[in-house]
Amino acid sequence: MTAARREGKWCWPWWLLAAVGLLAAVPVAGLAAELDEVRARGELVWAADQEGGGPHVYVDPEHPTRLTGFEVELAAMLAAELGVKARFQQGQWDRLPLLLGRAADCVINGFELTPERERDWHCSRPYFAYALQLVARRDSPVDSLESLATVGPAGVWRVGVLTGSAAETEMRRRTDLQVEVVGFDGTVDCLEQVRGRVIDAALMDDCIATFNADRFGELRGIGRPFAGGTYTILTAPDTPLLSTAIDNALGRLITDGRLKALYDRWDLAGRQQMLLLRDAAEVPPARRGSLADLIRGALPLLLRSAGMTILLSVASFPLAILIGLAVAVGRLHGPAWLRPFLAGYVELLRGTPLMLQLYALFFLLPKVGLALPALVAAILGLAMNYSAYESEIYRAGLKAVPAGQFEAALALGMTKWQSLRHVLVPQAVRIVMPPVTSDFIALFKDTSVCSAITVIELTKRYSVLALSTGRIAELAIVTALLYLAMSWPLSLLSRWFERRLERRSERDPG
Amino acid sequence: MIEVDSLAAIRSGNRILDAVTLTVAEGTVTTLVGPSGGGKSTLLRCLNGLETFAEGWVTIAGHKLVAGEHLPRALERVRRDVGMVFQGFNLFPHLSAIDNVTLAPRIVRGVPPAEARRRGLDLLERVGLSRFADARPATLSGGQQQRVAIARSLAMEPRVMLFDEPTSALDPQMSAEVLDVIVELARGGQTMVVVTHDHGFARRAATQVVELVAGRVHRAGPAAEILAGAGG
Repeated sequence: MTAARREGKWCWPWWLLAAVGLLAAVPVAGLAAELDEVRARGELVWAADQEGGGPHVYVDPEHPTRLTGFEVELAAMLAAELGVKARFQQGQWDRLPLLLGRAADCVINGFELTPERERDWHCSRPYFAYALQLVARRDSPVDSLESLATVGPAGVWRVGVLTGSAAETEMRRRTDLQVEVVGFDGTVDCLEQVRGRVIDAALMDDCIATFNADRFGELRGIGRPFAGGTYTILTAPDTPLLSTAIDNALGRLITDGRLKALYDRWDLAGRQQMLLLRDAAEVPPARRGSLADLIRGALPLLLRSAGMTILLSVASFPLAILIGLAVAVGRLHGPAWLRPFLAGYVELLRGTPLMLQLYALFFLLPKVGLALPALVAAILGLAMNYSAYESEIYRAGLKAVPAGQFEAALALGMTKWQSLRHVLVPQAVRIVMPPVTSDFIALFKDTSVCSAITVIELTKRYSVLALSTGRIAELAIVTALLYLAMSWPLSLLSRWFERRLERRSERDPG
Repeated sequence: MIEVDSLAAIRSGNRILDAVTLTVAEGTVTTLVGPSGGGKSTLLRCLNGLETFAEGWVTIAGHKLVAGEHLPRALERVRRDVGMVFQGFNLFPHLSAIDNVTLAPRIVRGVPPAEARRRGLDLLERVGLSRFADARPATLSGGQQQRVAIARSLAMEPRVMLFDEPTSALDPQMSAEVLDVIVELARGGQTMVVVTHDHGFARRAATQVVELVAGRVHRAGPAAEILAGAGG
């Protein structure tokens, strides 16, 4: 008991730091780092319905195995902006948003920006401006939208729409019209039904109508397009970083003309699109702010994140040392039944990636009812991971203490634990100081992995800022300087720790 | 003070000690002599439980050790009353001389630090090293280190002191410093068992000499009797 009490006293500053870490956990939790998952996977999974048809996403008639459409190209461009490849995920159009967070990172499929969608999902800046176009057979008596206001020869007009689309909303909103709204799962089906006279007309986005004009020669556009809106890319509400990254990437495509070129290629009136999109999206001006402004804006954020990096390091490493030491002592001097468990602990933690361990702590523990705040999980994960390495170092250190030291301590009447505490461990600590110090520096850098479980530290903050501002090189230099400014005091700290151990042992080991 | 009865120790099938029986009276000095490999050190280490034995029993300073594994608690009690000085000194290198001396009294006996230090300084004075109280072992000569080791052992106020070839690692000059300290202790009535090759010391200080050959007590008796005619 005495030994345990002294142990606690010996390391109080580390417990204090750990406590500070726990207290600081609350405000940080809740920020998602899903962008990292996308990057780690190397793929941006975007969901769309290929049955929805062109020009958005459809099967190339010339090469039936290939998917084409302006949104296919847009997805590829966005993914490239994020530094990953695009992967298509098929889904039924009106249920595509339900794939978010499960089978898809984003939905890019002509989803109109509506207040409802903005409430339920994260909506990107508009990437396409559309208007609604009424389509009917050339020989139809319907010659304008207004002609639907009076009942036709066969009763109310039957107008086909894509289920869940803005066209459907618009049709149902227009109570002044004598129409029965017929929902379809795909616009091509809908147009087929118009051609076959099953329904009288169809309301759809103008680009769809235009795209299908050649294929449905019997149909024509009725009146001018009306009730326009814009398309948005949907992302899950709890993936703000991904949403921001997509939004920013889109902004760049709009600003630098690549989106216009895309729309021109698809005969979608790129110039006009840009006019509408810039208007609707409040695209940031193409000019860049001065470097001084950038740094003035970014520095406080970077500094705060640097503080997180320090906190993660100084809170987790002492814990790693304590756990590692306990494991090493247990493996060498503990009861025989305990040793295989400790060996298993070490092998498990050394043999699996830190990122996986962090995932397990943060995402799996809540499933068994133990929800740790992100920062606590991060500190614990780092501490456990490094404790495995530290325990091996300490094991070697303890073995390197001559056997006569243990005998001399025992011969003086000390218990095994007193001998360990006062004679063996203090000597082992000195022996292992160099490798442990280098592990501290390694852990300092490994803290960046914690962004995987939503803890935003310096590297993470840098990549977010660099992506959003495009000032990749300038911010990299600032970030590197910050790392240097931190590692220097940290190395002073570890030297101070070393000196303090020396001093303490000279003065008084207890 | 010490009784050993029919003690046998077996290591890898060899009987290192066999039917060893001896008695050490309180306030006397017994030296264990004999050829290398005769079992002297093993016997000494059996006396404070650093090694186990297969047959027989030991009583020492009122504690009894029997054959087989010892309970840690029992050993701790024995060792509080039985000090040991090693051939290789085994000072704690991370502690100063005075801390080496005061560590065990403080943590084992719970002596308050100030009092432990006062007594420790007295003991260092007794072995002629009070000037070196704050020196690290590495800065001391072998003879000085062994004297600190003796002071460290005495700090627990043992009823019996065991010396395992205390001067074998030392040159003659330093051996003399250490032996003077041990002889002084003997005069003070400290019960001691000393493993040594130094017959001069045995003649000078020993009440009883036990000669171990091949794990058995070859001869035992007063120093003058056993060592008569022997060299050294």
